[in-house]
Amino acid sequence: MIPFFIDLVTRTDEARRAFEMNPKVLDIVANGLSVERYRKLLLELYHVVWHFNPICAAAASRIPDSHKHIRYFLYDHMKEEAGHEEWVLNDLDAMGVDRPYAVSCHPTLLVLALNGYNYWSADRRHPCSVLGMIYALEVIASVYGGPITSAIRESLFLETDRGISFISSHATLDAEHMVDLRVVMNQINDDDARDAIIEATAFNFHQFTRILEAI
Amino acid sequence: MKFLADAPPSKINRAYRYMRLEWNSEFAVLAARIAVRPIQCYSLAAMAELHQVFSDISANPGLVKHFVMASDVRSVFNFGGDLSLFVLLVRARDLDSLKLYARRCVDLVWWLENAAQIGVYTTALVQGDTLGGGLESALLHHNVIFERGAQAGFPEVLFNLFPGMGAWHLAIRKAGMVVATDMILSGQIYTAEQLQRRGLVDLVVEDGEGEIALEKLVRSVSPRLRGTLAALQARRVAAPITYESLQTVVDLWAATALTLTDRDLRLMERLARAQVRKVGGGAEGAVEEIKRMELDTAWDFEKTGVSEWSSF
Repeated sequence: MIPFFIDLVTRTDEARRAFEMNPKVLDIVANGLSVERYRKLLLELYHVVWHFNPICAAAASRIPDSHKHIRYFLYDHMKEEAGHEEWVLNDLDAMGVDRPYAVSCHPTLLVLALNGYNYWSADRRHPCSVLGMIYALEVIASVYGGPITSAIRESLFLETDRGISFISSHATLDAEHMVDLRVVMNQINDDDARDAIIEATAFNFHQFTRILEAI
Repeated sequence: MKFLADAPPSKINRAYRYMRLEWNSEFAVLAARIAVRPIQCYSLAAMAELHQVFSDISANPGLVKHFVMASDVRSVFNFGGDLSLFVLLVRARDLDSLKLYARRCVDLVWWLENAAQIGVYTTALVQGDTLGGGLESALLHHNVIFERGAQAGFPEVLFNLFPGMGAWHLAIRKAGMVVATDMILSGQIYTAEQLQRRGLVDLVVEDGEGEIALEKLVRSVSPRLRGTLAALQARRVAAPITYESLQTVVDLWAATALTLTDRDLRLMERLARAQVRKVGGGAEGAVEEIKRMELDTAWDFEKTGVSEWSSF
């Protein structure tokens, strides 16, 4: 059996490239965002980030001992990601959006659908599917986060990381996470878990593309 | 009348997502025009399609006598490897997947290297810029036609890598060790004429005249095709390239890719972003960015992300 990470990369490559080749995403990478659109992106990201750990926790609570290494991986990962929604709020603050207003904003239907799918998949599809969410979001952050950060920094004439700390730091942090993720993925041998992870990866790429499209 | 205007035979005509097939029934010429967006590169899916084309040709001996590799993207032939995929795999420290990608490339290289044995004469019709693996793929063909405006080079050394899918083998075979070493270790971009002077390009034609040149070539080769193919097989004996040596080099390439630092990956991202800007209507793309990197490096002005020049 080939290592699962290769299989995952290969079978979801088109979903990744569909994100990369989306005209709106291309435009963001090339030209950055206006401050209004960047605020909108951060307000959406706040809800994605807020639900990230609860989704991981929901999955962890359902993972049987046959996959306990994944459960332990999730515990560590949640510790690393804890409080990151605060980083988004700090960036929003730097962009002129105060905290009470930011937390009172409702997510769009696109974000609701993304979070809803991830909860559903962890609950009803297969709890290991959460690794698909983590993989897609970490690929977006570690592969595309750097160029997107550069583009936003240039378009908003930012000289430091103030206002872009969340995206900028995740471009680096998630690069480190990718190594751990590959190691844990390669220990998954059953087809049900693998298929669920691949489906979740494809959906998260797809839905995150729609979210960026709507910004 | 357009030279490649016929419908390809049903045995090889499939609906592809990343390429368009063209056919000339008089001379049995099959052209694959690749179009991968946003950046024209050898993505996994594009390589799978190319592999299918080659399999179909092999499965129908005698049906295709000429194979032509061309691009369906204006001003670009091919930029080689899928940079985003490389960044992903390097960040994941995934040696196995890097080797898998490289070996898929080598399988395509090996088919083209053996094309004469199955009775197929190959031509690269380069009508736009080509870098790294894109140039490697062009050099694999028996005949390499460049339109005058096309530029090419192996920029990998600028981000501490080297072209690993046959560049050394092919450049040494066509131009000798000195030229190959200079090209690969300098990372320099060359004009079509400079490449022709170095023996890497067989024919340089004016922009827009590539297809006319292709037609002339096919018409001149066809009457002596059997002898030409036999001679090319003999050339392989005289200057052999083995599958094992290609594999050894790609394994070294994959191991080297894992040593890339954040700075190296950021340079890759810079190239990709420059090309994305060009696709979006910007004036300058990856080739111009490489030239800027060369200047930055030469003058020791290397910055992370923004060059001295682009900040003006």
